[in-house]
Amino acid sequence: MLTNTTILGQIVVNGLNLSAVYILVALGFTLLFGIMRVVNFAHGEFAMLGGFAFYYLYAVLHVPWLLAVVLGAVAVAGPSLILEWLVFRWFYHKMFQSMIGLLGLSLVMTYTSLLVWDVFERNVPSAFDSILRFQGVIIPMDRLVTIGVSLAALGAFYFLMVHTKIGLAMRAAAQDVEIALTQGIDARKIYRWSFFVAVFLAALAGALYGQIYAVSPFMGERPLFVAFIVVILGGMGSIPGAALGGIILGFTESLLGTLYGGSVASYASFGIVILLLIFRPWGLLGTRE
Amino acid sequence: MRSMRTALVLAAVAVLGFGPAAAQDVIKIGAIGSLSGGGTAWGLAIKRGAEIALDEVNAAGGVKVGDKTYKVELVMYDDQYTGQGGKNAAERLVHQDKVKYIIGPIGSGPVVSTIAVSTPEKVLVLSNGYTPTILRNEFKAAYNFRFTLTNLEYAPNMMKWVKENLKLKKVGILVPNDAIGQSVAPALIKLYKESGIDVVADFYERGSKEFSPLITRMMAAGIDGFDINFNAPGEAGLMVKQARQIGFDKVIFQMGGPSVPEIIEVAGKQAEGFISYEMFDFDAPTAQPLVKAYRAKYGAGIINSQTPAFYNATKVLIEAMRRAGTIDDTTKLRDTIEKIEGYDAGVYGPLKWTGKEIYGVDHQVKLPFFIVEVKDGKAVSRATLTMD
Repeated sequence: MLTNTTILGQIVVNGLNLSAVYILVALGFTLLFGIMRVVNFAHGEFAMLGGFAFYYLYAVLHVPWLLAVVLGAVAVAGPSLILEWLVFRWFYHKMFQSMIGLLGLSLVMTYTSLLVWDVFERNVPSAFDSILRFQGVIIPMDRLVTIGVSLAALGAFYFLMVHTKIGLAMRAAAQDVEIALTQGIDARKIYRWSFFVAVFLAALAGALYGQIYAVSPFMGERPLFVAFIVVILGGMGSIPGAALGGIILGFTESLLGTLYGGSVASYASFGIVILLLIFRPWGLLGTRE
Repeated sequence: MRSMRTALVLAAVAVLGFGPAAAQDVIKIGAIGSLSGGGTAWGLAIKRGAEIALDEVNAAGGVKVGDKTYKVELVMYDDQYTGQGGKNAAERLVHQDKVKYIIGPIGSGPVVSTIAVSTPEKVLVLSNGYTPTILRNEFKAAYNFRFTLTNLEYAPNMMKWVKENLKLKKVGILVPNDAIGQSVAPALIKLYKESGIDVVADFYERGSKEFSPLITRMMAAGIDGFDINFNAPGEAGLMVKQARQIGFDKVIFQMGGPSVPEIIEVAGKQAEGFISYEMFDFDAPTAQPLVKAYRAKYGAGIINSQTPAFYNATKVLIEAMRRAGTIDDTTKLRDTIEKIEGYDAGVYGPLKWTGKEIYGVDHQVKLPFFIVEVKDGKAVSRATLTMD
């Protein structure tokens, strides 16, 4: 029998770990919406590609773990600029068209992957299988590393947005494209940058997701679903909102799942989203349109 | 140029088997299984089990039925692990290819829809599938047999073993929150309660991959064993891994499945000590010829434990043709299969039928089954159990 303190500790550890992955998944999704006003239904598929890239680099080619995670994300984000040119750029600032168009793209990506990789789930060998014990609370090492990588990615992202010129330009474009253009900001360049960063984050999340769970062509469904909830909670387009939404969802699932079971946890997550959509449709930290 | 083209056409005709001499001496045997989607490993088990059996027959010169000798050939279609897929495949086999016998499928949905198509046409079906209606149905299973055990056959004795060897007081189970979970859970809970073991059950959403909060909850409730029950290989592996990762140090076992190699792959080191129901012992001396033939034809990799069941079914069918002296009269073939008890295809020992009590018809195969435990990353046999 577990004591109350250890259960509480376990809830916090599980909650932190879920939140870290959820935030990472939601960041790229909210970034694309914030700057280009596209609802990227193919977001989960970029995470899926990130999972496969990581799988090949780490499990097949035995590239060192951290390098495999980062390289995998770059390997997906780089070539994805072709998709940006072919598909995405036609949908910028067309929210509803983008939903339909990118839903189609997501299906194409899923089923192409199915043809290439087949349906079965691949498992990435555990990189860190030790377990830390601290005051009765048990922390699996691979989860701790996930939290660490998510925090590092969040930090780097924050630095990019706040302390670099390109970040400033991205924020300016997010606030008002036309004014940004008159200030001499190259919109195409900003869009391509934002797209690269968004896909990089999605692919990174996919790699971590694949490491903890499994890699398969259909693995993108769950991250997309999570990104939606998190972003609706935090506010479409709001970056601090994605962080807050991720923490709320992660801890709701961990706390209610542990105390009241799985059904209550999903019930409550959706309940919060529905209440929010009724009373504060722009989300907790979003801007009212 | 023209003669070249003619030669090509003739070659194509010969390859496709339209040559009049070739067609007469070949028996077409139908097969249905999942060749795409989540059940692919099982579809391949049917295909490969049947192919190895048919290769043996052809290598020995064919099967002698009456005073004629035939080669045998497999015609297989994908059921996508769905009822509709099973129906489509069965209709193609029965009406288009005019086969008289079908090996497979696996899974209640595809099997039920296959026998709905095949039975009125008196086509024999040698299948798997857990639902009792496969044998207890409107046709009284007139033309179908089941070549694997279901939980009705193995669960009572496995429960006895679990009770005696694992000494559990309170077991935890996780089931998906859908039609399958809702129908499986009550029967399982009842079985545990009857054995004097308390149950903590929880439901998870299909598609969820994170079970840590739910397992923490079961640990807080004081479970001393975790039964993975009927969860599919992917989820089962994650449950084992995550339970160990959050420090569950009591026994984890699976009274269903089986998917031991898949679980070892997902859970890695955390799979150590995992105990499971298993259909076949690949380490047994009698299994070696089959393993060797499999390796030669399909290379290394996991041999799904459903493979021997369909090897067995195919061999039984061929033997029945030989004994009955017919390849067309399926009623006579069925009667022969019913009386074939004692025939040994080489993997399970002498064949026995059962099922009268539960299903009203003795069309259920009787097999031993196994309890395996993962030791040093490998499944090791811990006990051999029977249905009696």
